[in-house]
Amino acid sequence: MVLVLVIGDMHMPYRKAALPQKFKKLLVPGKIQHILCTGNLCLRETHDYLKNIASDVHIVRGDFDTNTSYPEQKVVTVGAFKIGLIHGHQVVPWGDHDAIATIRRQLDVDVMISGHTHKLEAYEKDGKFYINPGSVTGAYSALERDPVPAFILMDIQSNTLVTYVYSLANDEMEVKKIEFKKSVPEREE
Amino acid sequence: MSNRKDLFVQILSKERINRSEFEKACFQGIPDGSGLRSTCWKILLNYLPPSKSDWDEVLAKQRNAYNQFIRTMIVDPNQSQDTSDHPLSSSPNSTWSEYFKENEVLSQIDKDVRRLCPDLSFFQQPTKFPASFCSQSLRTRVEQANLQAMQVTQSKAGGSQLMKPKKKYSDDDCYQILPQGQEAHWEVCERILHIFALLNPGIAYVQGMNEILGPIYYTFVTDSDEADVKHAEADAFFCFTGLMSEIKDNFIKILDNSQCGITHNMDSLMNMLRENDPQLYAALTERNIKPQFFSFRWLTLLLSQEFLYPEIQRLWDSFFADSERFKFLLYFCCAMLIAQRTRLINGDFIDNMKVLQRYPIETDIYQLLQLACQIKDGKLILHTVPTKENPAPNSTSGRSGILGSFFSRAKNR
Repeated sequence: MVLVLVIGDMHMPYRKAALPQKFKKLLVPGKIQHILCTGNLCLRETHDYLKNIASDVHIVRGDFDTNTSYPEQKVVTVGAFKIGLIHGHQVVPWGDHDAIATIRRQLDVDVMISGHTHKLEAYEKDGKFYINPGSVTGAYSALERDPVPAFILMDIQSNTLVTYVYSLANDEMEVKKIEFKKSVPEREE
Repeated sequence: MSNRKDLFVQILSKERINRSEFEKACFQGIPDGSGLRSTCWKILLNYLPPSKSDWDEVLAKQRNAYNQFIRTMIVDPNQSQDTSDHPLSSSPNSTWSEYFKENEVLSQIDKDVRRLCPDLSFFQQPTKFPASFCSQSLRTRVEQANLQAMQVTQSKAGGSQLMKPKKKYSDDDCYQILPQGQEAHWEVCERILHIFALLNPGIAYVQGMNEILGPIYYTFVTDSDEADVKHAEADAFFCFTGLMSEIKDNFIKILDNSQCGITHNMDSLMNMLRENDPQLYAALTERNIKPQFFSFRWLTLLLSQEFLYPEIQRLWDSFFADSERFKFLLYFCCAMLIAQRTRLINGDFIDNMKVLQRYPIETDIYQLLQLACQIKDGKLILHTVPTKENPAPNSTSGRSGILGSFFSRAKNR
């Protein structure tokens, strides 16, 4: 089993000073193997912080990232799952489910991860799984005035994906568990 | 050779095995092949009882118990019924936090067991009997792999293309990962050690235990009947546990300086050396070579690092068959020192350390065994080794002096 952290849109230090204390306590080194980050870290130090949690960090570039070495989109493979990663400011209209589904088809992946809207989402649609980890700092965005700080942890076994959704509403931590099974591939017409 | 085999067959054919007669026979070495060694070791390590009629029952019971251990002891957080549990939970009764605690020990085991006996390809090869009911491979729990990643690049025409990023480092791993459903022998060893660590939280795992398990497991897989090879894992586990219960004091740090700890063992080795070979003892103490520098590894690992596997098997026959178990190990270590006495006495600190830490591999272990038996019976007679300070009475130093001057003259011409 592999634990993959999905996190992003920190906007540090421009919109929020730091991660919530309760999240910092949870995210310790030695548990998580891989990190997928949706971008908008804004600081080199944030990248280093992620590196500290797990050595294998994959980042895509957000619209506020100055580091040009991050790619716009990325596809990673974990076990049986192909996972697509995009920040999401390129998707028009922002956060639109159909528009994101188009990108998923382009990349031909089983799980599509996007961010940018700062709205926490994890849903299954047409046999594929979509994740938006929201903003881990709870930074404001153009769409959400006061979003809930959140991140997502995926536990991947052979062909099952268990998602743990961590959110911090009113300083109360809540963990939700969602399961997704990869269906047997069908031949497309 | 066939005579010895017959002797063993005869001893083992009796309904109740005569322990002292059996030990005496094993002490002289167990014949290779035909599965005798693995059976004998099982008896010597008290895994098989002396009366033969109980064997089948004991084996079935223990093997079943081991499979039960695998099923129940290894924590699988996904089987947990607690719905409020989550991977980052820090509450003490969370299965996930238990899982991560286990991983700490497991990662240590994993590091050591991957490089178990690299001279032999055996441990990298797939086992014929993987534990298919074990839901997870322990290896993947602590693996620090990098995901296979591709970047999406957009061409000017608007098409997108998946590209592999340039590799910053080569991941040419010398250890090949076996395809799904197969298990290498080192993974089996990893599981045995993991179960042992879970059952004995007091010792858990200490570096070096893998080297003790290695020869046992190797013997059980390569030298037994087809029916027993299938259960080599369970058998090796119980024999290893039995052996560990006798030598575990060497692995416990707080016992190091006590009566039963490793320091005491090393001291008795040096005392033995002083009694048998005062000259060598004096030379070693003068150069300040402490027994910790070499005999720590010799004694804790039962010499499994000093010799090759076939030799270790022969040596362990004698060590296990020793009625005062592991006293003979001391005699043998002493014999190893005495066998190299000429070189040791005439060498310096650096040379001595070289000899002792990488014991000359060409040494004949049968000579060493003979020497050890002589020490044991107190029949060892040694002559003083000539040194520079005390040359032997009929030395040829005069002649070499003449030759030396002859050569120097020849050079001058």
